[in-house]
Amino acid sequence: MSAPAVATGRTLVVEALSAGYGDTQVLWDVTLRIDPGEIVALIGSNCAGKSTLLGAISGVVKTWSGSVCYGDQTLTGLEPDRIVRAGVLQVPQGRRLFGSLTVEENLRMGAYLRTDRDVEPDLERILGLLPRLRERYDYLAGRLSGGEQQQVAIARALMGRPQLLLIDEMSLGLAPVLVDSLIALLEQIHQTGVSILIVEQDVQTALEVSSRAYVLETGRITLSGPSAELLDDPQVKKAYLGV
Amino acid sequence: MHLLAQDLVNGILAGGILAVVALGFSLVWGIMNIINLAHGAFVMLGAYVTWQLFSSFHVDPFLSLPVSFAVLFTLGYLIQRFLINWVARAPVLTTFLLTFGLSLLVVNVALLIWTGDTKGVTTAYSGTNFTVAGVTVPWAKLYTLLAALLITGVMQLWLTRSKTGRAIRATAMDIGAAQLSGVRVAHIYAIVFGLGAGLAGVAGTLISLSYSLNPSMGQPFLIKAFVVCVLGGLGSVEGALVGGLTYGIVEAFASQIDVTIGTQHISGTGLQDAVALVVLLIVLIVRPRGIMGRATA
Repeated sequence: MSAPAVATGRTLVVEALSAGYGDTQVLWDVTLRIDPGEIVALIGSNCAGKSTLLGAISGVVKTWSGSVCYGDQTLTGLEPDRIVRAGVLQVPQGRRLFGSLTVEENLRMGAYLRTDRDVEPDLERILGLLPRLRERYDYLAGRLSGGEQQQVAIARALMGRPQLLLIDEMSLGLAPVLVDSLIALLEQIHQTGVSILIVEQDVQTALEVSSRAYVLETGRITLSGPSAELLDDPQVKKAYLGV
Repeated sequence: MHLLAQDLVNGILAGGILAVVALGFSLVWGIMNIINLAHGAFVMLGAYVTWQLFSSFHVDPFLSLPVSFAVLFTLGYLIQRFLINWVARAPVLTTFLLTFGLSLLVVNVALLIWTGDTKGVTTAYSGTNFTVAGVTVPWAKLYTLLAALLITGVMQLWLTRSKTGRAIRATAMDIGAAQLSGVRVAHIYAIVFGLGAGLAGVAGTLISLSYSLNPSMGQPFLIKAFVVCVLGGLGSVEGALVGGLTYGIVEAFASQIDVTIGTQHISGTGLQDAVALVVLLIVLIVRPRGIMGRATA
């Protein structure tokens, strides 16, 4: 993956983060960083805590201890809207579209906090990137196919003008050909200077598209390094690639 | 035949008010899953705001509509933001008890301020009417119906076309996804509760033109609002309108029924609520999500 022409964001640093639900701890001292313009992969099996980590970064899961900083701004304990304002946006697992709103309304929801005058030009630019959505503009989002819905979910997050995009299980339930087109889309987004944290069960794809990766197992980071090295790591090969 | 036409007109005229009463109740229930038992008390407050403006400053009730909306909206917003928000995601019973307590508080404060004496708003056009093809239409009730239709139309437009309206609908569908889009759910909930209270206030103003006022006047309207929004379908403007008009018409026709069981004679007005509830049961058996309700996946 080539570096973007312009890296606009800041560095995200997650330091010794612990989090969970009720009395159940899910994350244990998780530490990771994403530099401006990077694509970083977070891989791990079901229930490893990947979505919980994204939730904690986005402010929808309460942090127990540790910190999340974005540049010189501390995100720990902030409400989700403040984190969106900081430029950290999430494409949640399962797309989580507003099914009874149209594609247009979903995209405009992505720009909910924006008061600048560039919302319309951005909408045009994103529709140019995803022409299928222009055809489906007035359709209810709940009526679209899985691939189209994933495009809407990514486009909705793009409407918030992210500097860092957190993408949770983008490929889940999609045909390989659709996954390939979404990966191409991510590369286009990355070229505009957006940093990306991609969370995937499709480990092969995640490691191929990213420059660095972290392995999360039962709430702990057990392995990290350049993605190319992890692709050749015997432990990763055995546990996640089935070879 | 004239009698049937008269009942139909009476029903539609009454149904318009019921639609506005139910609209705010339905939005709060459908979007926030809170059955607001203080809704009837808010209706009463709206009526008293109108009465106060009318008796102290001779403000026409229709001109006091924005005032009662603003007063009740502000009250509702603050109540949600600083009281109900603490238990917003609690089980239904918790909010049930909280709003019930709130209702008692509001009614008793109203008793302290305005006493329990019955009051009325009598304008120059109260009691005037016109007749078309043998059907009598009171002007005040016609104006009330037109205001009710206008209010529901404006609400529908606002919910579907405005940025905040879109955020409200999105939050109702998926709170988590709305948060990830930057929506402050506590603020949106406070707006919805404020809207619910504001619409109750507006309904109170409209009611003050046709009914007498006392601090416990809201209770029957709370029960009717409950039935109307189950009848029409929860959380939608069109559901409240269709439910309100249906309830009004059924009630009007029911008032013509006379039943004699043995020596016991029951007049239609005594049977109104019973008949309306039977219709509710039938509708729920045929369409469990209400007349305008949509099935969800």
